[in-house]
Amino acid sequence: MAEISKESTGFKDLVCPDIVSTEVDVNAPGVEMVKSLCYFCHANCGVLAYVKDGDVIKIKGDPDYSNKGGLCCRGTSALLHVNHPARVNHVLKRVGEKGEGKWEQIPYEQGIQEVADRLNQIKAESGAEAVASAGGTTRTDDFARRRFLNLFGTPNGFHNALLCWIPTFMTETCVCGWSPFETDLGAAKSLILWGMNPGASSLPSMRGYTDLQMQTGLKVIMVDPRYSETASKADLWLPLRPGSDSALALALLHTIIFEGLYDWEFVEKWCDGFEELQDRMIDYSPEWASTITWLDPEQIRAAARLYAMNKPGCIQWGCTWDQMGRASTTVAHALTLIRAICGNLDVPGGDGMPGPAINYLTDEEMELNDRLPEEQKAKQIGSNKFKLTSWPGYQLISDNAKRTWGKTLPAEWFCEAHGPSVFKAILTGDPYQVRALIVNATNPVNSYGDAKMTLAALKKCEFLVTVDYWITPTALMSDYVFPAAGALERPIIVTHYGATDSVMGGRRAIQPKYDRHDDFTFWRMLGLACGQSEEDWPWETIEDAYSEIIKPLGLPISGWDEFVDNFRMYYPPLHQSKFIDNNGFWTPSGKIECNSTIMRQLGYDGMPSYTGTAENPEDTPELLEEYPLVLTTGGGFMPFHHSEHFNMPNIRYLYPDPYFYINPDCAEKLNIEQGDWCWIETRRGRIKMRANVEPIVDPRVIMCPRGWWFPERDGSADLDNPFGCLESNVNTLTSVDDIDCDPKGGSWSNRGMLCKVYKCGEFDKVFKPEDAQFSIPSSAKEPGIHEMPSDQKLCVEPIPFEMPECTKEVPEGYYWVWQNDGIYQKGTHFKLDDSGWLIDPKTKSYIDAYTGWRYDGNEQCLVDDATGKKYTMERVEITYVAGVRTYPGQEAPYAVPDQLTWDQEKGYAVLGDKPYVYDPNSGWMLDPATGAYHDAYYGWLYDASANCLVDEATGNRYDMSYQPLQ
Amino acid sequence: MTRYVMVIDQRRCIGCHSCTVACRVWNKLPLDIIYNPVVSEGVQGTWPNVHRNWTPLLCMHCENPECVPCCPSGASQQDDDGTVWVDPKKCLSCKVCVNACPYGMRDASHMENRMHRFVRKCTFCRDKRQLDPDAQPYCVETCHQKARIFGDLDDPNSEVSKLIGSVKTDRIFTEFGTEPQIYYIPCLGGQA
Repeated sequence: MAEISKESTGFKDLVCPDIVSTEVDVNAPGVEMVKSLCYFCHANCGVLAYVKDGDVIKIKGDPDYSNKGGLCCRGTSALLHVNHPARVNHVLKRVGEKGEGKWEQIPYEQGIQEVADRLNQIKAESGAEAVASAGGTTRTDDFARRRFLNLFGTPNGFHNALLCWIPTFMTETCVCGWSPFETDLGAAKSLILWGMNPGASSLPSMRGYTDLQMQTGLKVIMVDPRYSETASKADLWLPLRPGSDSALALALLHTIIFEGLYDWEFVEKWCDGFEELQDRMIDYSPEWASTITWLDPEQIRAAARLYAMNKPGCIQWGCTWDQMGRASTTVAHALTLIRAICGNLDVPGGDGMPGPAINYLTDEEMELNDRLPEEQKAKQIGSNKFKLTSWPGYQLISDNAKRTWGKTLPAEWFCEAHGPSVFKAILTGDPYQVRALIVNATNPVNSYGDAKMTLAALKKCEFLVTVDYWITPTALMSDYVFPAAGALERPIIVTHYGATDSVMGGRRAIQPKYDRHDDFTFWRMLGLACGQSEEDWPWETIEDAYSEIIKPLGLPISGWDEFVDNFRMYYPPLHQSKFIDNNGFWTPSGKIECNSTIMRQLGYDGMPSYTGTAENPEDTPELLEEYPLVLTTGGGFMPFHHSEHFNMPNIRYLYPDPYFYINPDCAEKLNIEQGDWCWIETRRGRIKMRANVEPIVDPRVIMCPRGWWFPERDGSADLDNPFGCLESNVNTLTSVDDIDCDPKGGSWSNRGMLCKVYKCGEFDKVFKPEDAQFSIPSSAKEPGIHEMPSDQKLCVEPIPFEMPECTKEVPEGYYWVWQNDGIYQKGTHFKLDDSGWLIDPKTKSYIDAYTGWRYDGNEQCLVDDATGKKYTMERVEITYVAGVRTYPGQEAPYAVPDQLTWDQEKGYAVLGDKPYVYDPNSGWMLDPATGAYHDAYYGWLYDASANCLVDEATGNRYDMSYQPLQ
Repeated sequence: MTRYVMVIDQRRCIGCHSCTVACRVWNKLPLDIIYNPVVSEGVQGTWPNVHRNWTPLLCMHCENPECVPCCPSGASQQDDDGTVWVDPKKCLSCKVCVNACPYGMRDASHMENRMHRFVRKCTFCRDKRQLDPDAQPYCVETCHQKARIFGDLDDPNSEVSKLIGSVKTDRIFTEFGTEPQIYYIPCLGGQA
């Protein structure tokens, strides 16, 4: 007990002796610092975790990482997340009705085995394709998911990939050979931020932009219908009509072409089909775009000039491009062409194209895609429609990448089933019945489109397994819920969807608490329980798998933890203007393809042409009377990440209720005041949100945050709307009908739809099931299934493609590429050169076509890189003794000193009967047994420590001129 | 001598509230106590000619604090380095200081447990700095935008001295004569 001192005020000291300081001493004995990474969004900021007795006692931002010590409210709350009382900590097996919330707690191994048995049963009855898996965003170890699915035999894995980067990536790769996503801002003069708001979604990037604006005078052009945090710091802001991005992008391209602002020399040398593009762009003038975008034509011209005349410049990818539905790939396509013709691709200060990781294992090399049979690939749901981002397009793009880069994109993310179509298949059995769904790291009701249809599918799904932190609405409907390890409990590797050549990493600070497991372990255990072999899952822990990934880097480390401790990140040497060294871009033709050959081969238009969003005044004027306002949804907003963190009071208090944005002029007309609960209604249903009346959007626009649910409610109490997951969820209003989706990439409609808004009335303020009932198609007036998914049309007809005739003779085991008239070896995808050699695109080295051995020009020999063995040009193995090349059975190829004799049988020069090998390069003899040096006259041993020679027989010592030493 | 002050660069603040949450997490504050709110009037002007601004607040650690001399028990006090703080063990929770502060930066809620009654406020993370003299307050350390800068005004080489000496800075409510020591670099235009 503390003593009562003169300083004290008496009793208080005794009762609460520790109220002065809440501080934890991280320098105390027994506290270990672990370099970890934040896991609450994909910025993955560096975190230093202080661990004592197996528990994290404190974290802080890593000052030596890209976040420079900064952590947002989510990162700071990591300890509250680890210890949150609502976390799922054990495997929960459903014992009541679906959604009733009655669970039995079972051991992890038992849960895995029961799930595996059921999956195997479904596979035996209905084929492996009846099992699907849903993911969210790039957070988990997705190569492990794909490895499991490939070995299991199903092509139906999917994520929210189609709303986030993947359609853009594939479009850009068709045009220029890889996504130009690595902006070199330090040397850039202008930057277009389009449909992204790093001020709320990627704070380390925002700091970088602000720094550069202040330090180098970087000009930031912001394209956003909302006056976002980032727009408030921009130099030029283009508040366009939501969803009109494709018109703006085409008008910018038009202006740059017809004002002659492009890089003439670059276009002449590196671009194919520019004249065709010019003809296509002729009608897309700023005046034409101004009626669609609500922007002044002069604003559009100013933006085009600001970007094209302040070279080099960058266009940063924004998620909006992928969320526009029908118009998604049009935006990405036009913007990539803008970058290209302005000569801003792969140059200092421009948009860098890293290509796949050559120096370590890509995710694709961890996926075992060749184990998925061809007939299963063909069953991938949605691949007959949205070909660019599924097996048909992926196969073309991936083969091309292997021919040009030597490695390729992962299939996970870039080659997936169409998520909404899988949900439709669960409901309709069309094209076939999907019976089981494994949901890992996503809550599809809130994060996928058409929430009411998705919820219906999850309810109907015969066997639903969820891996999550919390009981989400999806977990509530599940048959099994598996606990997931979270931040600080798992190591993290950052390779940007496996699509870049750098790698960053963090260690796990602590082992997962309770029965939580990281996702790799989940997939591995499930795979083994399903009967997959140990050889196919050779790594016991995720750290072992990560070590395998980075092993080719050749760093002096024994494992993943050491990599993090000593290196933490790996960047290849600065590599820009690679297309010049490579003498071409990484497209099939080697040029920037203004009229993409891959797109044409898939039956699409190879050039962008204007496409409006699902509903707009030009295409659907009949809707305007009923739905006069434009609805836009989504966008990262602080403090949440997607549908996460709604159950953390410490974060939720910043944004407790679902507020939507409405302009004061509009609100006044509709008699809406700040904080009023309102209905927002589209053709597809209505939701309830509160009004935030601010001139932050145009008076004709309504902007809603995404993903809202109410974890504080009792989910089982209202199974029509569990946890309020439909009530204020803007995805209740979005459309996933095929006709509203992007015909190439399949992204569904989130932006620029038509809506109406009205205040909740006294007798009309309770959300009822009929406010959000699912129908297929979603615009149908009556609930239910009115149209089978297979009958749903795309918004464009396919354009038949005729493959040109091959005029060359193609040898057995080789294939012909029509774009460049080249012949490539099947399997390796190495090009067959006119000289008869193969060329490896990674190293540009020559490869022997018969053996696959690499030609080494220095030694004029062939090298088998797999074994390290060398061969002569006649393909005879070159032998070595003590590291000295030998020539058995040959005449001496070098002058043999007189005192030595050539041993033709052994193939090297010897000294008398001594067992040493003569090395013609150094002039010394080498002992094959010890590797020790001996002189070539007497065979005396060289003693390096004393720089003298030793006669081993007598023990006498001699100096280097054979004079005896005392 | 040392005189701790904070410079807040409103040109850089984007209103992410990271500072608010970091303060509360690491100072273990109840949900409804906030030492350092980030306030904003929202988007101002008429569409599309609009602007917005965020003002991060905290105790001004005044040169002549009103809240210190009024304290009857001597709990409310100021260190030589300018830090104004309350010794919880001496605090009688009479709330005179709460009324005295012109900035409303003292909190007298959560007084239900008699023995834990005390007035709370920002201390520039005094206890953290006692453990590590080079430490920065949590709100400063966590800020991605580096909009909060903490340092010694008496050190001419400190970042705060250089900023205050070179950029126009404002202080809030100087008319009360308390000499507040939080310096704001205002955001005058749209751009940083």
